[in-house]
Amino acid sequence: MKRVALVAALLGLALAVAGAASGGARHHSAPTKLTVWVGWSARELTAFKKLAAEYQKANPSVSLDVVGSINDDKIVAAIRAGTAPDVVSSFNSYDVGIYCGTGGWIDLSSLMKQSGISTSMFPATTNYYTQYGGKKCALPLLADTYGLYYNKTLFKKAGIAGPPKTIAELTADAKKLTVRNSDGSLKQVGIDPFIGFYENVPERWILPWGGTYTDSSGKAHLATDSAWTKWLTWQKQLIDWYGYNNLVKFQAGLGDEFSASNAFEVGKVAMNLDGEWRVAFIQAEHPSLNYGTAPMAAATPGLYGSGYINGTIIGIPKNGKHTQQAWNFVKWVTTNTHALAEFSNAIKNVPSTTASTHSKELIPDVHFATFLKIFANPKSGTSPIEASGASYTNAVQNFAAKWQAGTVKNLASGLSSLDKQLDAQIKQAKGGGVP
Amino acid sequence: MDRRRARRRAAWRRRRVVLILMSPWLVGFSVFFGYPLVMSAYLSLNHYDLLSPPRWVGLANYRYLFTIDPQTWTAVKNTLWMIGVLVPLQVLGAFGLALMLARARTGVGIFRTIFYLPALAPPVAATLGFVFILNPATGPVNTILSHLGISGPLWFQDPGWAKPSLVMLGVWGVGNTMIIFLAAVLDVPRTLYESAQLDGAGPLQRLRYVTLPSISPVLLFAAVLGVIQGLQYFTQAYVAAGVASGQASQAADVTAVSLGYPLDSTLMYPVLLYQHGFTDFQMGYASAMAMFLFAVSFVVTLTIVLNSRRWVHSGAR
Amino acid sequence: MSTVDVAVPLVRRRPPARVRRKRLLIAVANHSLLIAASIAFLAPFAFITLTALMTNNQALSANLWPHPFAWHNFIDVFTKAPLWRWTFNTFEYAVLATLGVVLSSVPVAYALARLRWRGRNLAFIVVLIALMLPPQVTVIPLYVMWAKFHPFGFNFIGTLWPVIIPNWFGDAFSIFLLRQFFLTIPEEYMDAARVDGCGELRILTTVVARLAKPAIAAVALFSFLYTFNDFFLPLLYSGEQPHNWVLSIGLSEFRSLHQVQWNLTMAATLLVMAPVIVLFFLAQRAFVEGVTLTGVKG
Repeated sequence: MKRVALVAALLGLALAVAGAASGGARHHSAPTKLTVWVGWSARELTAFKKLAAEYQKANPSVSLDVVGSINDDKIVAAIRAGTAPDVVSSFNSYDVGIYCGTGGWIDLSSLMKQSGISTSMFPATTNYYTQYGGKKCALPLLADTYGLYYNKTLFKKAGIAGPPKTIAELTADAKKLTVRNSDGSLKQVGIDPFIGFYENVPERWILPWGGTYTDSSGKAHLATDSAWTKWLTWQKQLIDWYGYNNLVKFQAGLGDEFSASNAFEVGKVAMNLDGEWRVAFIQAEHPSLNYGTAPMAAATPGLYGSGYINGTIIGIPKNGKHTQQAWNFVKWVTTNTHALAEFSNAIKNVPSTTASTHSKELIPDVHFATFLKIFANPKSGTSPIEASGASYTNAVQNFAAKWQAGTVKNLASGLSSLDKQLDAQIKQAKGGGVP
Repeated sequence: MDRRRARRRAAWRRRRVVLILMSPWLVGFSVFFGYPLVMSAYLSLNHYDLLSPPRWVGLANYRYLFTIDPQTWTAVKNTLWMIGVLVPLQVLGAFGLALMLARARTGVGIFRTIFYLPALAPPVAATLGFVFILNPATGPVNTILSHLGISGPLWFQDPGWAKPSLVMLGVWGVGNTMIIFLAAVLDVPRTLYESAQLDGAGPLQRLRYVTLPSISPVLLFAAVLGVIQGLQYFTQAYVAAGVASGQASQAADVTAVSLGYPLDSTLMYPVLLYQHGFTDFQMGYASAMAMFLFAVSFVVTLTIVLNSRRWVHSGAR
Repeated sequence: MSTVDVAVPLVRRRPPARVRRKRLLIAVANHSLLIAASIAFLAPFAFITLTALMTNNQALSANLWPHPFAWHNFIDVFTKAPLWRWTFNTFEYAVLATLGVVLSSVPVAYALARLRWRGRNLAFIVVLIALMLPPQVTVIPLYVMWAKFHPFGFNFIGTLWPVIIPNWFGDAFSIFLLRQFFLTIPEEYMDAARVDGCGELRILTTVVARLAKPAIAAVALFSFLYTFNDFFLPLLYSGEQPHNWVLSIGLSEFRSLHQVQWNLTMAATLLVMAPVIVLFFLAQRAFVEGVTLTGVKG
């Protein structure tokens, strides 16, 4: 009997502690507390928090609790478990198909109409990747675009005049800029096209090659779109020139992408495919680096100047409380020209409304200007939004990783299996073919 | 009449005691085991993403699992490989160490502590340590190998070496099993060895005909435990893949490269189940995966339980 | 002369020199192997420690020996990540779970070992089966159950309670171990108590618990170790609430939070290993006895 009482007492104590802990999270007195989840960390998170503080000052009835280092996994988990915050933001649009399709992020259309926000305020590509299945469940919060960073000092040393514009130039320059050690291992690499290295994923490379994922009926057509075959063949040839194992070993000794030992910033790779935000990182970590930015070399002259576009998106999860206050904040941070310009200056991301692109508050930066041009280029695009979410582009990435390792014997048949898999994945995500 | 009633009352009292004593487990078993097992079977026939109610799809999940998902058989092969390689090596390693310790005269305590300590290291910490040490470019192991003139392999970065590296990590932690074997080996009666020696048996023969049969129940126990752990092998594979892929790191959003890094070589069945269930939130599909795992484990368990008497040499004791 | 039966004392003659030399060689070979194995087993610890004492740049290079010994790394680790919070969470989970396991498994094991009732063998087989099945089999419906259960608006997902609570309802491995041990307690002890008029529950708490102290200690130790090192279940339930992470999750995420400072990560790794190793040195005998018990009785 004593034992039973002890157990009951302990359980009671446990529940009481739990109750106290959860009780503290519910505020019924003003100001309303909004929890905001974002992906940024360190310096960039500080910039966002500054923005949040500005909003709070203008709206004292609301207090914002900003949590950084969030990724899609955490967002998905929280929504499923019903523990989602009031406002949530993701670095990319890969899972929009899931967020909008399942209603995990609420449809903002009625709120937008109520506040007089229309999609014409945003650039076309950003509109594409913030909606799915007729539901607009997110708004863009600054955009990202990708181009070529090149080390001017190393270029001068190798006797190269300017950044490569064609694939042939890119290959030649890469080989010229590569330095090997006496034992054959790599000391300095011209450009590293290894899928899985830093920002290298297929969707960012395929844009300047003109590749698309689906045909007009929405079925995957990587096997028949020649751009994919051409890109993958070129990529593997270059990797084999370096030596696959040499490259893997080289990469294992490089610094972390978001640290001050970033391989491009310390001169270990002479050229790199990277996003526009790298400009701010270099400014903060290696201001004396002599570098330049340009669009990535393209397969045809008509494609030169284009690049991959994606960007941070922000939305309101289902089951969040305080929807109206959350919407007020989301509306402000995504459409207020001053806020966007200030944030863009701080983290050097592309402004996501047409109005803010022309804002006088934007600090001109010669390196950053390249990316604004890429963003405005009509040939630039993004990856498809599908019901299978990130699994779509992940499957392509998986395939590319196997291909570059030499484990895919026949590229054509490999690509058609990939197409079948991509379509099957979408069907499965929609519920096994049940309409 | 009274005696019968008294006996019935005593029997009822005894049953009540049993009920009280067994109650925590009965409740626990039904709520945390029985019910979920039934639910798992039900969910495996549905499409369920936790946001909308389950939608009946019949055997579609199983069809996708066995015929369409390209990663299923890779995951199954990897798990079976780990079981087939790690368990024997662990048993052999623990046994070898125990034999050496049993024979040693001095410093047994120190050696025993040294061999046992790695088993205490938390799996995540040990995995992180190993991935770092085995970094092909800057890790101490390859640095020392290069001083010896050997070009070290790419360890966790090489699909052919990733699983062997995990095996090394597993063998490093055999301390627990070693202690069990040591106790069993020391327990073998000296008289058995002496009579075998009198019969002219050499050391190898003594090992084969005296030591091994005497400790066979313990060997079996270790092997069974190893197989059970192999079927659930998750933490080390998951953490190693995540850390190794991050060594040529990427922005935190894309997880494709790190699942089973490199090139699906560390993709174990429980890792794939976790990915489908708790990252993609395809819970119906993950339940189908779970039912398959249950079927395999059940067959393995039944085989062990039914055959244990045959494999154990119980006469020596 | 008549033969006399005298007990001749056994004289241990020194074995011939050849045999002695052979034995010495075997002993030396055995010791060399032991030393070699020890170096192999200690090497990872040595490398981890050396790296933990390096500066960040040195950790990224191929250097083996730290040049300035960066002792402050061990302090820096605490400012870089909420290690204290994680340690508290880990201990909370381990202690509560271990308590639950011991309190709930002992009665069940006793009922299975010493009381005679119909269905006892079936129940034991069910316990064995539960022991051998992977947790992944039941994890999804359990997660769904916890996600949908909101008493008084409390969210279980994101906390460690879904991991702690099942331990209060019996743990298959502990039940198995304790049952095997209880079987070895001679029936006389319990008969004597029964003759004295003790009810079964009384026998359990007074006689059996005292006799089974080593087994109970072993079960508590293993429970503590297992829950202290647990990764999968805490990852599942508290994975997106860094506030409720345990040390194993925190360590695996340590590198992504702070852009891979390997020296700090290795320092954190050592710190996470420390409590368990300290516990081992304090309770060495209990550890070894406990491990032996599991193997021999199993």
